[in-house]
Amino acid sequence: MDEDILTTLKILIIGESGVGKSSLLLRFTDDTFDPELAATIGVDFKVKTISVDGNKAKLAIWDTAGQERFRTLTPSYYRGAQGVILVYDVTRRDTFAKLDNWLTELETYCTRNDIVKMLVGNKIDKENREVDRNEGLKFARKHSMLFIEASAKTCDGVQCAFEELVEKIIQTPGLWESESQNRGVKLSNDEDGHRGACGGYCSVL
Amino acid sequence: MVIQPGKCTTTQGDMFSMKALSPAHIAQPSNDVTVRFRRASGSPCYPSHNSFREAAGLQRFMMAADSEPESEVFEITDFTTASEWERFISKVEEVLNDWKLIGASSGKSLEKGAYTTEAWEEKSDEIAFADFRFSVTHHYLVQESNDKDAKEELVEDVLPVSMQDLLCMNNDFPPRAHCLVRWYGLREFVVIAPAANNDAVLSESKCNLLLSSVSIALGNTGCQVPVFVQIHHKWRRMYVGECQGPGVRTDFEMVHLRKVPSQYTHLSGLLDIFKSKIGCPLTPLPPINISIRLTYVLQDWQQYFWPQQPPDIDALVGGEVGGLEFGKLPFGACEDPISELHLATTWPHLTEGIIVDNDVYSDLDPLQAPQWSVRVRKADNPQCLLSDFVNEFFKVCRRKESTDEILGRSAFEEDGKDADISHALSKLTEPAPVPIHKLSVTNMVHTAKKKIRKHRGIDESPLNNDVLNTILLYLFPDAADKLTDVSEARTSTSAGSLPPPDNEDYNLYIQFKSAPSDSLTYKLALCLCMINFYHGGVKGVAHLWQEFVLEMRFRWENNIFIPGLASGAPDLRCCLLHQKLQMLNCCIERKKARDEGKKVNSDRSSADTGKPDGSKESDKEKEVGKSWESWSDSEDEFFECLSDTEDLKANGQEGGKKGIPKDGSKETISLKPEGRLHQHGNLTLLHPGDPLYVPVTQEPAPMTEDLLEEQSEVLAKLGTSAEGAHLRARMQSACLLSDMESFKAANPGCCLEDFVRWYSPRDYIEEEIVDEKGNVVIKGDLSARMKIPSNMWVEAWETAKPIPARRQRRLFDDTREAEKVLHYLAVQKPADLARHLLPCVIHAAVLKVKEEESLEDISSVKKIIKLIITHSSKVLRFPNPEDKKLEEIIGQILSVEATIARARSLKAKFGVEKCDKEEERKDLERFVNSFLEQPEVSVIGAGRGPAGTIIHKLFMSAQRLTEPTEETASMMPLDDELKRSGSMDEKRMNLGSAADFPLPAGREVILRTTVPRPAPYSKALPQRMYSVLTKEDFRLAGAFSSDTTFF
Repeated sequence: MDEDILTTLKILIIGESGVGKSSLLLRFTDDTFDPELAATIGVDFKVKTISVDGNKAKLAIWDTAGQERFRTLTPSYYRGAQGVILVYDVTRRDTFAKLDNWLTELETYCTRNDIVKMLVGNKIDKENREVDRNEGLKFARKHSMLFIEASAKTCDGVQCAFEELVEKIIQTPGLWESESQNRGVKLSNDEDGHRGACGGYCSVL
Repeated sequence: MVIQPGKCTTTQGDMFSMKALSPAHIAQPSNDVTVRFRRASGSPCYPSHNSFREAAGLQRFMMAADSEPESEVFEITDFTTASEWERFISKVEEVLNDWKLIGASSGKSLEKGAYTTEAWEEKSDEIAFADFRFSVTHHYLVQESNDKDAKEELVEDVLPVSMQDLLCMNNDFPPRAHCLVRWYGLREFVVIAPAANNDAVLSESKCNLLLSSVSIALGNTGCQVPVFVQIHHKWRRMYVGECQGPGVRTDFEMVHLRKVPSQYTHLSGLLDIFKSKIGCPLTPLPPINISIRLTYVLQDWQQYFWPQQPPDIDALVGGEVGGLEFGKLPFGACEDPISELHLATTWPHLTEGIIVDNDVYSDLDPLQAPQWSVRVRKADNPQCLLSDFVNEFFKVCRRKESTDEILGRSAFEEDGKDADISHALSKLTEPAPVPIHKLSVTNMVHTAKKKIRKHRGIDESPLNNDVLNTILLYLFPDAADKLTDVSEARTSTSAGSLPPPDNEDYNLYIQFKSAPSDSLTYKLALCLCMINFYHGGVKGVAHLWQEFVLEMRFRWENNIFIPGLASGAPDLRCCLLHQKLQMLNCCIERKKARDEGKKVNSDRSSADTGKPDGSKESDKEKEVGKSWESWSDSEDEFFECLSDTEDLKANGQEGGKKGIPKDGSKETISLKPEGRLHQHGNLTLLHPGDPLYVPVTQEPAPMTEDLLEEQSEVLAKLGTSAEGAHLRARMQSACLLSDMESFKAANPGCCLEDFVRWYSPRDYIEEEIVDEKGNVVIKGDLSARMKIPSNMWVEAWETAKPIPARRQRRLFDDTREAEKVLHYLAVQKPADLARHLLPCVIHAAVLKVKEEESLEDISSVKKIIKLIITHSSKVLRFPNPEDKKLEEIIGQILSVEATIARARSLKAKFGVEKCDKEEERKDLERFVNSFLEQPEVSVIGAGRGPAGTIIHKLFMSAQRLTEPTEETASMMPLDDELKRSGSMDEKRMNLGSAADFPLPAGREVILRTTVPRPAPYSKALPQRMYSVLTKEDFRLAGAFSSDTTFF
């Protein structure tokens, strides 16, 4: 494997069925678009190495099925993810309305609370938009998420979305570092820091 | 010698004063001395010159051209024969240069208490004199940098800041400080001491040589920071030093004695020494400023006994388990965590003549002292129960032995020998293809269980029966009624899984990745912790664990739920062990449902269809009902699911599966809907128009985190190729297929469109179109992606047979999973177990500390607890945290426990609870709590304030008790020691309230003045002498400055 890879990040794509999760992923990893992509069963998995600010990160991206019934199965994969992409379809309001459910689910099953979340409004190439960009923005702000609108078909914003997410993860302390770095708090000051007869800081008795 | 103004003279003077130089050292420098002398006498010297040259590598160097503009002569300076001594000096200079200590020092006089509140720092370096290593350390008070403007207004001839510090009275008697700070009041200094701890500079000549080196280095560099050298053995803390400024020098001298000459035990004697040391030519002498501090030590806390006894272990072992509360952690120190109280009475500002303190009389009555401050000495490592508990448990993590090794022998082995014959028979009659790992079926286990109890008995087993039973009953409260009715166990489980309280403390398990505080796992952790501490250590742990695992198997085999676990799939936020237990419960639930369903089913089937093996099974059921001791589940794993052959048979009847609605004639039986859950809204099937039913489906398989890891690894390994993705989807399509089969069974005559409308409604696109007749009709169609030929959904739909969930092959093989869990549990060594449960124990300890703190309300402790929680959650969330980090956390808990114990001890000692007046009590509480945060607490109102009165009383009552013994002591033949204390006693008798206090354990006196030295016309310079007298130590530390101009 490449020696210079800074870290491997686990990224999750979730959202209602048919919003284009797999298409976004396919656009990002293979830079292709397939209008007839079969509905995902369970979870799918792709890998891509990207470079953000000179840091190479290997992304293990888990693409999940959006169907209600699969939801009982997929939350197990939320475990250990550092970033999540929550997708809705700008041409279908119901996919936007369901976002709250997804966030609750994320909160319930996610093992860490500092996970970086990104909201992606997909299919902006389509004419019949139902969800305004501002609504997406508002929602993202309310839940402290990154926000971008994208189109897997025209390639708009896809690359950018993943890069932003990774950059944010790398900037978040404690989210991705191997825990070898010592970041423990020091609670007591060292009493014996000084060698020598004085014993450092002593009292008269 | 020509008298020259400036530093050179100083340097030279020192060189000549070094009479004690050893011949060996004299011999070498002599080569170079000529150079130095010539320079010194010939022209003004440049402080940086020497070091510059030496830095250039001790080589031949033309010095005249650049540094001595007056001289036209080129001289060659030869350093090829530079001595060790010279090299040492240059190294000292180099260090001073590196640390930028060169040049005039500046600074304002410091605020009161700055030495305690501001931070001290130090820098170190190592240098060598020949092969003797010295460490050079720069100690300094970190000051906010307002140096810049201070430097600008620098005036010539200002005294070095250190000399000004000698007279500053704002930081006398700092509570915690380097001894040189205490003695000389310095804010900055450099110490040169032997680097090795047992090295010492002992001979006088060497001491002088060292001091001379310092003197030369200071002169050469113009450094104004005082430099000390440590001489004699380190424990004596003997330092001599020097500070140089423009035309001034301060010598730091020291006297250190074991016994005090009697004339120096009081102020008047000390004043005499001081005056004679200054040798001031002026009369009358300028006034001498005096600061005195007397420190009294209180060791006897008469009215107060440390209330906490270590728990009586014997009582617990002797069968008295009733008193022992499992699930409660102990807390507190076993010994008084406060050992001494030091009262310092201070007269910060006196002048000679105001008070009298001589060998017969003293005005220094502690009660009258204007300032009182108190410090407490904390017991070094007070034994604290909670930390001991946690620490001992942590030690188990490092054990290597397996459970069997610890318990001596395998329980099952022993059991094999004398197994009951009837059971042996029943084993023979059992069907043959029993997997090996299931040999330990219930009947064996249960005899084993009995055997273990019987055989180990009281004498052999690490845990005695009473203790064990109490613990088991505590862990499994449902066990009390389990023998009477199995079904009741269920109610207790449901009672156990009440909606958890939603508060911060309860949710701590999420941060710690432990388990909820009311869970079995948590309780087990506490029990093991207690067993480990009180009942046989790691052996007890192994024994309890073995019992626990047996209980788990018993419950699995008898369909009894494990209590104290939240229902549902394993909670991935908890520790793995907790997940495993939850998993086992899931298995039990499935098995139970299956067995119950089977009972109904088999009853029905034997009545209706008369399945060939139906009667046999219902017999089995009855047998189960009678005694589960003899019941083995191993034979009927797929009772509810049709075996493959049966499946085929059934499907054969149904014939072509694709067109279910088409060949309806044959399908009369299959058209009977099965496994319906409820109607799905108002939806109807597209073709027959019947209501669409949501089927009963199989629950997805519950997963623990390790299984999940395994599975996602397998899925990830398939790679990202198209085939990989396809294979991955196929592997996960079992659930989809099962759902399709259930759907088909529930909705005879349905098609994929119907299924999609339930399963993935967005993949069924409805459009309003106008038909030929002009009516608006809604036409629906599958989405494009569902229509892709032979996509996995279509494929699955085509293979799906109409089978209701309960007759499908299980997606989740509970038997296998349960056996896996049980095996996993059985092979855990005590160390593994301890590692699994350590988060729970830390969690419990933090809760305990939190609870205890809330009783005392100590803000500093609150903060630390918060830090501990964030720290632990960082450490514990990762698998296999490092031992060092765990130790750190435990250490932090210990420190908090000790602090709380101290607070309690102090509160009791100062009688906070007894104080009636609300306001006074508040003040007192604040006073007591400040001991925990500050090294020294000043007493408001000194001896007359409320706290002061209490302290006075404490001393008085301690004194009253010791009085008689002192009297008898004075009757005994007087040796020197007693003579002194005798005379002091007498003196004490003269004073009223002073008799309430013991002799001061420490007498510190600081004498200060400003006088011209050495001649009457010299500059008036700061002079200071500090003296400290303790029981077996007398020290005088003097700093005497003199004007070097003309001398």
